[in-house]
Amino acid sequence: MTQSPHPPRIVRPYVLTQGRTKAPESTYGLEAQVRALVPPQQLDRAATPEARGIVELCQRSTSVAEVAARMTLPLGVTRVLVGDLVAVGALAVDVGAPDAATDVALLERLLDGIRAL
Amino acid sequence: MESVLSDRLRQTGWGAAPRAVRQVPVAMKVVVAGGFAVGKTTFVGAISEIDPLRTEAQITVESLGIDNAGPINGKTGTTVAMDFGRITIGPDMVLYLFGTPGQDRFWFMWDELARGSIGGVVLVDTRRLEDCFPAVDYFEALDVPFVVACNLFDGVATHHPREVREALRVPSNTPVVLCDARRKSHVQETLVLLVEGALRKATAASGRSAR
Ligand SMILES: Nc1nc2c(ncn2[C@@H]2O[C@H](COP(=O)(O)OP(=O)(O)OP(=O)(O)O)[C@@H](O)[C@H]2O)c(=O)[nH]1
Ligand SMILES: [Mg+2]
Repeated sequence: MTQSPHPPRIVRPYVLTQGRTKAPESTYGLEAQVRALVPPQQLDRAATPEARGIVELCQRSTSVAEVAARMTLPLGVTRVLVGDLVAVGALAVDVGAPDAATDVALLERLLDGIRAL
Repeated sequence: MESVLSDRLRQTGWGAAPRAVRQVPVAMKVVVAGGFAVGKTTFVGAISEIDPLRTEAQITVESLGIDNAGPINGKTGTTVAMDFGRITIGPDMVLYLFGTPGQDRFWFMWDELARGSIGGVVLVDTRRLEDCFPAVDYFEALDVPFVVACNLFDGVATHHPREVREALRVPSNTPVVLCDARRKSHVQETLVLLVEGALRKATAASGRSAR
């Protein structure tokens, strides 16, 4: 990642991930739930604002898509940063059951929930 | 992520610390598709508990299957945006509604949205029916439940749902309904139809596998 003629908004996320553009495709779905395992105060002072922001946001379990949107980071970058924070034990990601969308009990629960809105 | 956490903190052992016992809700997902400006964001916003949020993915030529393109060269990439809303069903479940990007050439993005989804809502503007063909084809090919919702622009149905059904040749078990995307009750009813369809399908499948 040497000089780049491109606007900071585009380049910066890749600086954050040291040039890595994506976590493995198969990892976190957009709806995967991210939650912090530590309070933000426990992050090192050297933590990037993005890492701190993600840990703050995820004190309540939050979807990957929402982390990206609220942090205004592209999805790929978000996945990489979340993966890094998982690796150091600051976050956990619940990718959910792969067959939730075809689970009869879950669909019944969902149907009741939508009807009750 | 060496810069994020000091060694000192890591040595004091977060990993070993008792993990917070917190319930993580089950996430369910629905894809809201259709042509350009057909009311996808309106549909999501009518029922979402949050204003629809926008997520961007930066697409490199690499991810389109062409080698040797990095994200650093902005010329090789583009940005694809989608929006989504959230509905908390309860402490145990949350439903996300994802609107597809306006341009349907970003098929891989549809795959990303559709993976693990219950199914889709295809919004139709009956004045330009053909705009929804790609979405209908997509869900049919994927063999996931979907509902065709004719958006009531100007509050009038310019085509009867039966005509739309005939024009689209959707399977008979796919509901075709009128839906004013601005009205929560219409959106709600459309989602009910979708989940009912998904439930029928799941019930039939579990019956088969139980036998
Ligand atoms: N009269 C009427 N207008 C609608 C309805 N649904 C959406 N609109 C309007 O149609 C326009 C497009 O709606 P959007 O919800 O932005 O459509 P979209 O599919 O998200 O558009 P893109 O994301 O740009 O493809 C907006 O000005 C809406 O206010 C409807 O049911 N009736
Ligand atoms: Mg939109």
